[in-house]
Amino acid sequence: MSEFLHFSEHQLQEGALLFMALVYTLRLRWLLRFKAGKERQASTGLGDTNPRKGFIYSWANVAMPGAMESTRTKPFLYGQFVVFHMGVVAAIGLSFVIPYGAHLLTIRWLAIALQVIIGGACLVGVMRMWRRAGNKHMRAISTPDDYFSLLLLTVWFGFAFFAVPNSTAMGEWHLLTYFLLTAFFLIYVPFSKISHYLYYPFTRYYLGKTMGHRGVFPLRRRPDVAASEGSKP
Amino acid sequence: MSKDRQRSHKAQMVIERMGKKLNRQIVGSLAGCVHCGMCTDSCHYVLANPDDPTYAPAYKADQIRKLFKRHYDWTGRVLPGWVNARSVYTDDDLENLKDTVFGKCTNCRRCTLNCPMGVDYATFNRMARGLLVSVGVMPEGVAVVSKDQWEIGNQMGVLKEDYLDTLDWMSEELQDELDDPAAVIPIDLEDADVVYSINPREAKYDPRTISDAAKIFHVAGEKWTMPSDGWDMTNFGLFSGDDDLGGAVARKLFEKVGELRGKKLVISECGHGYRSTRCEGQNWAQMDVDFTMESSVNTMLRYIKEGRIKVDKSRNSDPVTFHDSCNNARSCGLTEEPRELLRLVCEDFREMYPNRAENYCCTGGGGAMSMSEYTPRRLKSGSVKAEQLKSTGADVVVTSCHNCVDGLQDVIRHYELDMQVTQLVNLVANALVIEKPTPAEQVATITDEVAAAPTPVEAGSLAGYTILVTDDEPDFVTFASAILEDNGARVLQAFSGEEAVALARREKPDLLTLDLGMPGTSGSDVFEKLRTDPELRDLPVFIITGQPELRRLIYQGEQRSPEGYLDKPITEESLLMNVRKVLSVPH
Repeated sequence: MSEFLHFSEHQLQEGALLFMALVYTLRLRWLLRFKAGKERQASTGLGDTNPRKGFIYSWANVAMPGAMESTRTKPFLYGQFVVFHMGVVAAIGLSFVIPYGAHLLTIRWLAIALQVIIGGACLVGVMRMWRRAGNKHMRAISTPDDYFSLLLLTVWFGFAFFAVPNSTAMGEWHLLTYFLLTAFFLIYVPFSKISHYLYYPFTRYYLGKTMGHRGVFPLRRRPDVAASEGSKP
Repeated sequence: MSKDRQRSHKAQMVIERMGKKLNRQIVGSLAGCVHCGMCTDSCHYVLANPDDPTYAPAYKADQIRKLFKRHYDWTGRVLPGWVNARSVYTDDDLENLKDTVFGKCTNCRRCTLNCPMGVDYATFNRMARGLLVSVGVMPEGVAVVSKDQWEIGNQMGVLKEDYLDTLDWMSEELQDELDDPAAVIPIDLEDADVVYSINPREAKYDPRTISDAAKIFHVAGEKWTMPSDGWDMTNFGLFSGDDDLGGAVARKLFEKVGELRGKKLVISECGHGYRSTRCEGQNWAQMDVDFTMESSVNTMLRYIKEGRIKVDKSRNSDPVTFHDSCNNARSCGLTEEPRELLRLVCEDFREMYPNRAENYCCTGGGGAMSMSEYTPRRLKSGSVKAEQLKSTGADVVVTSCHNCVDGLQDVIRHYELDMQVTQLVNLVANALVIEKPTPAEQVATITDEVAAAPTPVEAGSLAGYTILVTDDEPDFVTFASAILEDNGARVLQAFSGEEAVALARREKPDLLTLDLGMPGTSGSDVFEKLRTDPELRDLPVFIITGQPELRRLIYQGEQRSPEGYLDKPITEESLLMNVRKVLSVPH
């Protein structure tokens, strides 16, 4: 291993992670500086829900494709979402496994599983680019950051795919590029749309809490409670 | 964009005030969108305009988001072009924003519920409306209605004497119908168990819902009352985004209930009224209350469950379907109670799909009914609702919302569906079983004398009255004339202001209906002429207009107010009811 690759796997990643943590802390501080709205009124809806149930349901929504019409009626897009985000987790995990637990990659099934997931995510990235550029509704809402973030992740997945075997037999270029991209990714994320996962717990928490208080969440699609029995005054 | 670029005063105010409106929920929603496009198909505007991406919820949200990013988000401040952050500079920029936030969204919240990130677009769209309203940029209709609610205390400008007159009239109808002198609408009764608040639309266009509710309260033996003022449970602050108006209206109602020492505030069937009063009013008014609140749907259901009223569902035998109001279903969780009630009072209830929180907007939400400039867009977006309605095969669509009644009626008329719109209160009242002993004399054989008597004039008949219908739309004149003639009136027709004045002088009608938006001599000029003409000044005038924003031309003048007022579109029932009211014809 060259010194530069060693630096990219260790010091560079650690520095980028620290930078990301610092910026995220500032970002969270910024968000929490805004006051949270409060509800003064008594809760509405049937008696079988409350704010707590509401936000738990809201958080769990990501894993319930049947809960929202938008995911229920577009299973292909939901599948893409699952594969893409699993790919993100796998590719980030890989940036820790290679420098700190490379022996794990000698487990054949694990290496294959990682390549399947990351390769699938890369493929989904290409499909998403196609959709974003080809669909006029998507084009109308896309910013340069949307295109760049997607391109960045898709290329990153591609190099992660080749980095999984952690082999330098064909040279170091793929590992080096993967780690350099990972470092860039970590530094770029807090300023881009990719930071959405930082907001996700907040947006869904507040929406869920409000909707639980108002008896909307969990959503009902058929009557399962005798209304007059559970109705709140 | 140059930092030195001149910004209009209004644009500067919008930017500054945005900072004060931001809370954590709104900031999360503004920062959290990933432009995934999953919300796109959830919007009825998109479904009706598939080739126009400017209707997509994320696109509309971005018109507000780019402003937030440019001024309040770090990436947008440093690299605005990278995230499409952009400011507003001119009043034209604000007009464009107005077109989006008022004219392309009904705040129905359907996209919110379909957003994987939980971005609550409807909430920050309302915020944007409020910002624009605060600098005077809003549709004319929004300005008119807001002004009425600020100044007169209700959003339809119903004067106190007219409101009390209507309650008195409905009391008389109820007494006649039940043949019971005790069947009255109690006003300002203290320590009542129920204080009943209504939508001004009921007093103005649909008083039958008041008498139906009164009948139900009376038969249930409820100790109830209606307030003489502070009775409007609707709140245009919800639509205009004006929290100050929202708080003032809610406070007025809450304080009146407190003054009467009412134990429970019952809110008549109105989606935005229920949400404003029950779910948002206390937040806006920053006020705690010591009484409970419920929708009249819950009240009626409870009466049946407790055996306080009996119903016979065979009296409502037509197939009915139910339209969930957005505010009830997506913001207040009121979805099951109306269905349970419907099954108790109707023989053939058919579900509409999608339903409950997934139902589509009636197209009239978010104050859209008051923004006549967007009517063509609204009606086009109604194709989704029309398809939904048609698929049910029902003859009647029931809804617990007055806005939805008007929105659905528009859709039904525009798409030529053979359906009626009604509310639960009407169905419950119709199904009411009122048990009372039949006096022996009531079943006496009809004597020859009675049989030979001349046929009395049918109740509600307009026979003997001459009514002059004035409107430049021939279809409307034909429609209104047919209704009035079918009910016995002699009808004269005028298609312009000049013709109306000439005919009125010559024929001396008992009532003149007047459109405001006519070419040539406008309705407001005709009105002024009539009121200042010694011969015609006492002629009752009934305004029927499709441009409510012109109402100020009539009501701000010094002359006596018109005797009646209706917004188009009108129905046969609303026209007859209001004409009878003006002419004092009992029905």
